[in-house]
Amino acid sequence: MTQATGFVDENLVRLDGRDPDYHAVAEFLYREAELLDERRWREWLALLADEVTYEMPVRVTRAHSLEGSVLTDMDHFREDRFTLEKRVERLETEYAWTEDPPSRTRHVVTNLRVFRSSSGDLVAKSYLLLFRSRGDVRPPEWVCAERTDRLRRVDGQLRLVHRRIVVDESVLRTQNLAIFL
Amino acid sequence: MREDRSLERLVEEVRQGWIPAAVYSDPEVFAAEVERVFGRAWVFLAHESEVPEPGDYVVRRVVHDSFIVVRDEHGAVRVLANVCRHRGMQVCRAERGNASHFRCTYHGWTYRNTGDLVGVPFHEDAYGGDRHFPKSAYGLLSAPRVASYNGLVFASLDPQAPDLEDYLGGFRYYLDFYTRHSPAGLEVHGPQRWRVRANWKIGAENFCGDTYHTPYTHQSIAEIGLFGEHKPSKRKEGALYFADRGGGTTYKLPPGSFAERLRYVGYPEEMIERMERTWAPEQRALVGEAGFMVSAATLFPNLSFVHNWPRVREGGPPVPFVSIRLWQPVGPDETEVYSWFAVDRLAPEEFKQDSYRSYLLSFGTSGMFEQDDVENWTSITAVAAGRWSGGIRLHSRMGLAADGTVLRQPLEGWPGPGRAFQGFGEYNQRALLELWCEYLEAGEAVRT
Repeated sequence: MTQATGFVDENLVRLDGRDPDYHAVAEFLYREAELLDERRWREWLALLADEVTYEMPVRVTRAHSLEGSVLTDMDHFREDRFTLEKRVERLETEYAWTEDPPSRTRHVVTNLRVFRSSSGDLVAKSYLLLFRSRGDVRPPEWVCAERTDRLRRVDGQLRLVHRRIVVDESVLRTQNLAIFL
Repeated sequence: MREDRSLERLVEEVRQGWIPAAVYSDPEVFAAEVERVFGRAWVFLAHESEVPEPGDYVVRRVVHDSFIVVRDEHGAVRVLANVCRHRGMQVCRAERGNASHFRCTYHGWTYRNTGDLVGVPFHEDAYGGDRHFPKSAYGLLSAPRVASYNGLVFASLDPQAPDLEDYLGGFRYYLDFYTRHSPAGLEVHGPQRWRVRANWKIGAENFCGDTYHTPYTHQSIAEIGLFGEHKPSKRKEGALYFADRGGGTTYKLPPGSFAERLRYVGYPEEMIERMERTWAPEQRALVGEAGFMVSAATLFPNLSFVHNWPRVREGGPPVPFVSIRLWQPVGPDETEVYSWFAVDRLAPEEFKQDSYRSYLLSFGTSGMFEQDDVENWTSITAVAAGRWSGGIRLHSRMGLAADGTVLRQPLEGWPGPGRAFQGFGEYNQRALLELWCEYLEAGEAVRT
């Protein structure tokens, strides 16, 4: 359907832990996780660049290797600023039943690797373990994924320009994606 | 002690529109469904466009029975049991790919993608060769019955099932609106797959006739301006059709011709021209004369369709999409949803992209319509499991008078097969569950 945007193979230089940008990126991701877990979506939207793209392709089980396990023609998410804002707007209505009562979530962000691209953008790869607990009867749900993010400084502030979420499950065991990853 | 939960009693109550909640969670009811419904009905597996090239395959299930839907080296689509004839290993453990052969990992028996057994290690030493063990007799088994309609591949585990076309009956007329917009047919993408803690019948019932939930369940969509029809309450003007094995919902469109009404829901000119040439006059009459546009639908037992036209840009026009979905039972209280995006192969690329966006925003794992639906269905399933609440009779009698007669008469001059009612009513849910009752009563399929 749509071509996966992915990340062009450009000259990426890996930053070590002494580089201030490494910490700036880590701080950005931790801050973002906090905003999502606290349902402060408007502040979260402010972290996104106007031209943000946000995609989560469907994963499948293939023989022999992981090659081809990320579908290029079906996604769980393929969003831009408009659709992300609409999703937030919906959550803010009184009728977003699937998040009322809300999930208690924890975005655990680990295994961070940060790269500087030739254009000056920062590219971050991280592992995400999303814990989602709802109500008081059912066991919690988990979504595990690797995220690749492109961050750019806009007026001196880091903004998310592109996010690609590669989920590990081919069959999601969460009721829906009324949450952001 | 629970009261009488015999199938006979359940069926009797369901027929009156009083549904014992336990039908949505009882393990014995589920076991009976696996035998009598899924053991006999035609069940959807895949669309032919998922396996375009020789060797392409997808692995699908009929409840717990695994099948490989594969396009063989001669171009024919086959439905092969994913079971090695020796010790019952699954010969394919991926979910999709391309293969000329399927090889069992246990002892190495190897089958061509036609199903023919072509390799048995130590054939001579172990089995005495072809004289004592003719390989030709041990190919992968095919599903007992396999047939397709508009590229939709179905299987039935019942060798005595009626022919697919007879099974579909009058529902074929409606199926074309979802799956045949031109002679080239559909291309489908996906599926997205996820598990929900809900009984499979609830989604099937909802899609076949529940227009009444739209104004409330989906109020958030209207509020944020994405609903194509400005007022969800417009649903009550829609007609509810049912013909033979399936039924669905429609929206009443504003006055206009066939082309104007298709334009109204967002189809580009060239697609409208192809629809005009592809659909029979009596099909075009549903849109052009009666003025109805199909929306959600269900084919018994567990295949649903949705056609909707939300807005995908601020102040933009509606953009229609078609989605196919399977309510794959996992257990009495759990369903795996398979949800595909479908679009006519000849549609302009720009339309395909927009229609895909429309689908993702509204249905599937992240779909904003779908999310709130499933919230309701998981809650019903939890209630149904209650020792006491499972015995509560749920009300499915909308559209019936107190004496059981219908409140409204079927629409006169309806151009399609079956019957249709205008306005809110649970006519279709009752019709779908009537089929369920008939299958449960008719007993088990002959086992082969």
